[in-house]
Amino acid sequence: MSRVLSPVAGRVVGLAGVPDPVFAQALVGPGTAVDPVRAAGRAVAPVAGRVLRMQPHAYVVVDDEGHGVLVHLGVGTVELEGHGFTPLVGQGDRVTAGQRVVAWDARGVEAGGRSPVCAIVALDASRDALSRVRADGVVEQGTELFRWE
Amino acid sequence: MTERTVKVMSRAGLHARPAALFVQTAARASQDVTVSKRGKDPVNAKSILAVLGLDAHHGEEITLAARGEGADDLLDELEHILSQEEPQRA
Repeated sequence: MSRVLSPVAGRVVGLAGVPDPVFAQALVGPGTAVDPVRAAGRAVAPVAGRVLRMQPHAYVVVDDEGHGVLVHLGVGTVELEGHGFTPLVGQGDRVTAGQRVVAWDARGVEAGGRSPVCAIVALDASRDALSRVRADGVVEQGTELFRWE
Repeated sequence: MTERTVKVMSRAGLHARPAALFVQTAARASQDVTVSKRGKDPVNAKSILAVLGLDAHHGEEITLAARGEGADDLLDELEHILSQEEPQRA
């Protein structure tokens, strides 16, 4: 069982709260989303494992059970081509759960006309594999968002 | 076996949006579908983890493979997704 932690502090809005249908309709996978506090910060690894992909507006960490979790920082942020996002670890690195992996600023993303809402997605997971999925309320960085059997 | 080598045209490479659309399309097929980068082992095209793990960048070529009935049509659809510069937003 993997415990998936929130990469950012903020308010949980659920995937339906992501203003992008590909995420909102769970086409990328099931999970949840967090509307982050408007401040410069460092997003953390949602699980312990290996960094499969570091873009760095989005990253994937695969844990020892083979569960891959995608964290997507903001919506449409791929268009920023990395501007405003500083990777703190490299692709292929091992990270601990809660380790700081990307420096970014939710205010900057919002000031650029994009939503800073962060999607946290279980890749290749069926919806029933997730339990205790948070869908609302305030969340601290590094606290549990859902469990993945 | 039907094989096809296609260039990734998405400006940001095979990131979340095109990867999700690609995998959704591949997953509708009954047969196995694989995708590979030159010199690497083919991976399951129905797995978004595997497809994101390819780390396919803009302009890179990847090879799609499927067998059986409808393989050509399926590869047409997958090629169409890869050939778009940005399938909507991400």
